[in-house]
Amino acid sequence: MNAVAARLQRLRAFDRIGLIATLATLALAILWAFPLYWGLVTTFKPDDETVQSGVHLWPQHFTLDNYAHVLTSTKIGFWYVNSLITSAAVTVIVVGMAAGAGYAISQLRFPGRRLCWWLILASFMVPIPALIVNHFILMAQLGLVNTLTGVVAPQLIAPVTIIIYKQFFDSVPKDFREAAVIDGASEFQLLFRLYLPMNWGVTTALAIITFIAAWNLFLWPFLAVTSEDKMNITVGITQVHDAFGVRYARDLAVAMLAALPVAVVYLVFQRRVTQAIMLSAGIKG
Amino acid sequence: MIRKLLCAAAAASALMVGVAQAKETIVWWDFLGGGDGVRMKALLEEFNKEHAGSIEIQPTTLEWGVPFYTKVQTSAAVGEGPDVMTYHESRMPLGVSTGSLSPLGSEELAAAGVKAGDFGAADWKAAQGPDGKQYAVPLDIHSIILYYNKTLLKQAGLLGDDGRPKGLDGAANWDAALAKLTTNGVSALSVPTADNASVWRVFYTLLNQQDGVFLKDGKFLDGDNLAKATAVIGEMQKWVKSGWTPGKTEYPASIALFTSGKAAMHINGVWEIPTMVDLAKSGKLFDWGAIQIPTLYTHPATWADSHAFAIPDRHGNPVSPAKRALVLQTIHWFNEHSLAWAGGGHLPASLPVQDSQAFKDLKPNSDYASLAKTAVFDPVSTLAGVASPVYDAAGNFAMPAMNGEMAPADAAKQMRDDLQNQAK
Amino acid sequence: MLRSRRSEWLAAFALMAPFVFIYGLLFVYPTIKMIELSFRAAPLIGYGRWIGLDNYRRLWSDRLFALSFWDTLYFVVLSVIPSVVLALVVALGVNRLKGWMQSLMLAAFFLPYILPVSVVFRLWQWMFDKDFGVAQLLIAPLNDGQHLSIFRTIPLFLPAVALVTVWWLLGFNVLLFIAGLRNIPVEIYEAASLDGAGRWAQFRRITWPLIWPVTVLVFTIQLILQLKIFDQVYLFSQGGRVDATIVMVEYIYKQAFQLNKGGLAAAASVVLFVLIVALSVLQYQLLRARGAR
Repeated sequence: MNAVAARLQRLRAFDRIGLIATLATLALAILWAFPLYWGLVTTFKPDDETVQSGVHLWPQHFTLDNYAHVLTSTKIGFWYVNSLITSAAVTVIVVGMAAGAGYAISQLRFPGRRLCWWLILASFMVPIPALIVNHFILMAQLGLVNTLTGVVAPQLIAPVTIIIYKQFFDSVPKDFREAAVIDGASEFQLLFRLYLPMNWGVTTALAIITFIAAWNLFLWPFLAVTSEDKMNITVGITQVHDAFGVRYARDLAVAMLAALPVAVVYLVFQRRVTQAIMLSAGIKG
Repeated sequence: MIRKLLCAAAAASALMVGVAQAKETIVWWDFLGGGDGVRMKALLEEFNKEHAGSIEIQPTTLEWGVPFYTKVQTSAAVGEGPDVMTYHESRMPLGVSTGSLSPLGSEELAAAGVKAGDFGAADWKAAQGPDGKQYAVPLDIHSIILYYNKTLLKQAGLLGDDGRPKGLDGAANWDAALAKLTTNGVSALSVPTADNASVWRVFYTLLNQQDGVFLKDGKFLDGDNLAKATAVIGEMQKWVKSGWTPGKTEYPASIALFTSGKAAMHINGVWEIPTMVDLAKSGKLFDWGAIQIPTLYTHPATWADSHAFAIPDRHGNPVSPAKRALVLQTIHWFNEHSLAWAGGGHLPASLPVQDSQAFKDLKPNSDYASLAKTAVFDPVSTLAGVASPVYDAAGNFAMPAMNGEMAPADAAKQMRDDLQNQAK
Repeated sequence: MLRSRRSEWLAAFALMAPFVFIYGLLFVYPTIKMIELSFRAAPLIGYGRWIGLDNYRRLWSDRLFALSFWDTLYFVVLSVIPSVVLALVVALGVNRLKGWMQSLMLAAFFLPYILPVSVVFRLWQWMFDKDFGVAQLLIAPLNDGQHLSIFRTIPLFLPAVALVTVWWLLGFNVLLFIAGLRNIPVEIYEAASLDGAGRWAQFRRITWPLIWPVTVLVFTIQLILQLKIFDQVYLFSQGGRVDATIVMVEYIYKQAFQLNKGGLAAAASVVLFVLIVALSVLQYQLLRARGAR
C-alpha cells in the first residue's frame, strides 16, 4: 500500500516537472518565433508608425504600400528570376551528377574508383569559402565573372549528395540487380529504371535541400556578380540602395519577399526538408 | 541544360525590359543613396525621356563607400563594370593607383563639348591623376552643413531675427548652446556617430578650423597637429559624453532623430537637403533651416569633396570608342542640367550653371553658399579619399573615441601610427 | 566476361565524367592554384613573382591577421557551445510533446534555419535598432535606461552576432537531436522506471550515453561551419569599425577584393584551409574516443 502511494507521489511530481518543462518549451518557442513575426508585422505599418514608441503587435493602419513600393521601384523581379535560375540549375546539376557518381561508386568496379571516393571524402572536409579567391580568378579567366554560369559553377561542389546516394544505392538488395541484369538491362537502365525510382524520396529530399541552400547562399554570388541585373535576391537586397529617408518597413518588406519562396517550399515539403537535413548530417531519417 | 536555362533567363529579362534594338544603352553606376539620389533619379528619367529612341541609361545605385568602390575595383580588373560611374575626386589618386580609371583624352573631351574652362581650376585639377592626365569630369562640390529646427532654437533663445541661429561660434559658445538645447527627450545635435565617413567629415572640418594639417610630405599628423587632432576628438567626445549628441547612431537613424523633432540640430551632407525639402513640401516637417558649420576654432573651414563622372578601365574589355563618345556627351548633358542637381543641395561644378541667376536664387543653397570660399578637400594621397585607409582609420579610432570607447589622445596617436605604417 | 567488364568500365566512365570534370576544374585545380598563389606577390588578377614564404611571414607579423584568427575562434566558442547545449534542451522539451503541438513547436524553432542570411540580418538589425528596435526595451534597463547600439559596441558585436547565429541555426541542431532521441527505444525507459530510476538518473544513464554520437556529430558540423563565418559578421559590421571585429574569411575578402593582394589572401586561405581540416579530423577522433569509452 505504502509502495503504491510512493509511486503515485512520484508520478505527480513527474507531472509537475513535465508541465513546467512544457511551459518553458512553449515560452522559448514564442521567443524564437517573435523576431519573424515582428519583422513581418512591421512591413504592414506605414513609415511613421514603425518609429513610434511602444510595442504594437498589430498595425494601427494596415498598409501594403511597402510591398507596392518594393515591387515597383526595385529590380526585385530580376533578382527573383536570377535566384530561381541559378538555384534550379545548381539543383539539377548537383543531383544529376551525384546520382550518376553515387551509382558508379556504389555498384561498379572501375580503375580510379578509390581515388574518386577519397576525393569526395576529402572535399567533404575542405572549406569552400577558403577557395573564394581562386574561384574568382578561375571565373575571371573563363570570362564567367558577372554571369549566371559563374554564379552556379562553384556551387556544384556538393560531396554530401554523392555520399548519401552511395549509401542508399549500397542498401538496395543485390537480388533486384541480378534479376534485372539477367533480363539484359544496361547500367543506365539499371540506374534510371531501378535504383533511382526505388530511392525517389531521397532524390526529392536532396533536390529540395540543395535548392534551399543555393537560394540562401550569400558569399559567392556576392563576389561573382558585379551588376545589379545579375544579382540574386539575397545579394540584391543588401547591396542595392533605395534612395529614401525612413526605410525600415521597406527594407523588411523586401526581406520578407526574399524569404517567401523558401518558406513556402518548407511549409509544403516539411517532412522532406527535415528528412533531407537528417540525411545530409549522416542520420537515416 | 545551363545554356538552355540561361537562354530562358535572357528571354525573361528581355521581356521585362523590352529593349528595343536600335537604341544605344549606357550602363551607369552610382552611389547616390542619400536624399540627392531622388534628384538624380529624376534627372536620369529626364535624360532617358529626352533621348528616347536613341540613348538609354540603365542606372544602378549601389551601397555608398566601401561596397561601391570594392565592386568597381574588382569589376574593372576582370573587364566588367559600367560604361560610366560616379566617383569621388578625393579618391582619384587611389583609383588611379589601382588601375580602376580610364584616362580621358583632351580631344574626346573637346568633341563632347566638355571644356576645362567651364570648371573651377582647382576642381578640374583634382580630377587629374598624379600623371597629369584627366581621369574624371567634376559634377559638383559638396560639403557638410548644420541643419536646424527653428522652433527648438527659438525656445532656447538661439535664433536671430533673420531666422538664422546665433551664438554658435566659438567652442565655448557652441558647447553652451548644445547644453541649452538638450532637454528631456530632445538632444541638441544628431550626427551619424556610427558612420565612419560622417565622423571623418566633422573631424576634418574642425581640424582645419585651427589650421591643423592631416598629411604633409608623407607625414600624418606631424608635430603639433597631433595635439590639434586630440583636441578635436576630445571636443567631439564631449558632445556624446555630455548627452548632447546620441552616440553610436546609424546614418538613417540620425536623420530620423532630426526630422522627428528629437534632435534640435543635425550635421550632415548637403545631399540630405532633398529629404528635408520633400518632407516640408508634404507638410511633415517643422520650420527648418541650414547654415554653414559654425566656426568653433580660429577661422571658418568646412570639409568638402566633389562628385565626378569617370569611365572605368575595364581590363581586356574596354568601353568602345563610340560608346566613350556617347558617354562623354552624356556627362556634358548632366553638367548642363546640373541646376536640377543643385536641388540635391550641391554646388554645381559647372561655372555657367554656378553663375546663373537661377542658381543664385535657389533656396536653401544660398543660405550656406558661403562655405565654398573656405572649403577644404581631403589630403591628396593614395591612402586618402572615400573608402580609403584614412576613412577606415577615422572609423577605427576617431569614431570609437567620439563614442567614449577610447581616450582622444590614444585615438589620435593610433590613427597617426596606423596610417604612417601603411604609408611605408 | 571481358566484354562485360569493358562495358562496366564504359558505363562507369560515362557516369563519372561530369563528376571528374566538375571536381577537377572547381576543386582540385583551384586548390593547387591557391597553394601556388600563396607563394607569389600577386594582385587579385594578374601575375606576381615568386617570393617563397614571404606572404606567410607577413601574415605571421600582421596584427590584423592575428586579430581575425582570435576573433574567429572566439566566435566559434560563442556560437557552437550555446547552440549545441540549447538545442539538446529544446529537443528534450519538444520530444515530450505529441501531435500538432510538437509540429508547431518544431516549426517555430526550425523556420529561421531556412531563411537566407540577408533576411536574418535585416530582421535582427531591426530588432536591435538603436532608436526604434523593440529589443531596446530589454536592453535599456540594463544600460542605465539608455538605448545601446549593440552592433556598434565592439565588445558586444561578436556575442550579438553569435546570438543571432544561434537563433538562426538552432533548428538544425534540434532536428538532429530529436532524430537521435527517437532512436532510443521506449522499452529502455520503461524498464528503468520500473527499477525506480528517477528522471535525472534516466537522463544520465540512458539518454546521455545514447545521444552522445549525435552530440559529436552536431558539434563537428557546427564547428566547421562557424570557422567559415563571414556573411553575418560582414553584414552587421558594414559601415562600422570593420577591422575591430574582423574574422578570417573577411580578412581574405579584404586582402583580395579590397586591397588587391591576391598572394597574401591565398596564404591566409591556406592557413584557414589547414586549420579546418586539422581541427575537424582531430576533434572527430577525440570525441569518438571519449564516446567509445
